[in-house]
Amino acid sequence: MVKGDWAVYEEDFWSMNAILQTLIRSANSRSVMLIDKTGQLINSIGEPPGFDVTSFSSLAAADFGANAELAKMVGEKDFATLVHQGQDDSLYLSMIANRVILVVLFDKKTSLGLVRLKAKRAGDELQVVLTKIFDKIPYRNEETAATLGADFAAEAESEIDSLFKD
Amino acid sequence: MSLINYSSREINCKIVYYGPGLCGKTTNLQHIYSRVPQDTRGKMISLATEMDRTLFFDFLPLELGQIRGFRTRFHLYTVPGQVYYNASRKLILKGVDGIVFVADSQIDRFEANIESLVNMHDNLSEHGLSSEKVPMVIQYNKRDLPRVVSVPDMEKELNPKGAPFYEAVALRGTGVFDTLKLACKLVLKTLG
Repeated sequence: MVKGDWAVYEEDFWSMNAILQTLIRSANSRSVMLIDKTGQLINSIGEPPGFDVTSFSSLAAADFGANAELAKMVGEKDFATLVHQGQDDSLYLSMIANRVILVVLFDKKTSLGLVRLKAKRAGDELQVVLTKIFDKIPYRNEETAATLGADFAAEAESEIDSLFKD
Repeated sequence: MSLINYSSREINCKIVYYGPGLCGKTTNLQHIYSRVPQDTRGKMISLATEMDRTLFFDFLPLELGQIRGFRTRFHLYTVPGQVYYNASRKLILKGVDGIVFVADSQIDRFEANIESLVNMHDNLSEHGLSSEKVPMVIQYNKRDLPRVVSVPDMEKELNPKGAPFYEAVALRGTGVFDTLKLACKLVLKTLG
């Protein structure tokens, strides 16, 4: 049986996608990403970013992790949102459901206030979808056994052998 | 923390290279980066000091390709080995699916290996994980150097539970892929 610590299913993916689409439009931002807090990209929409999104995701998660530790040191529970302001482009990051980081990349066409407002609304909606996902992990894991089957590990092993060789 | 995305049909897993300072964790990743096909690897990120010591982490994403219709990716991380970077090490371990513990075989680094291993267990348990649950491969690195501890002695001290191990000379690439391959396979077994 193939199971993960958590999984994003088709219907939830599209629910989240709709929320992100609304956010990017209403906040007039360039792109929006959802990243698991361990650094794995879940979804990215908007302008195709001119950078490596996989690396970006790992750095965003590390950024959040480091700031959470800083928060604890100054006696805060966490820093729920982070803003990185650049000359042209800026980033707004917020933690949703203690599991997922919402990242908004925006430029001077919009304002931080608008991004913050719309991201807060999107965050509340995402929280509902994510809570649903986490609630159904156990039984969906059973269900997906049939989809992937027991051959998965065997097939992965032969792929690993052929790919990683000196 | 393995994440399965059924919509984009992706599986992502995280492997962390742990070990004392200067044991060769970054060297492992650099060798992997230099040898895997370009379309398999993403950008390697190194957050290092000016002296090339790892400050926060190194990161290397690898893509296995399609397995039963799923794009399967491994995200390789190293931790900073120096003792005083423990807060960073703890962060990197968050959501780990598999560990490669790189031990330095030199006699005068023996204690540092033990210290790092104890530190790893402590950090894992702070994340609610135990070393029994997280697949681990041990790599005895720098076997080419003159004053090294024998493998049976290293096994006795560092590997009482009998985790699989490889001898390595990461600078030359010896043992690097054997270690990686086994770690990847063990991680996928926990998924399957």
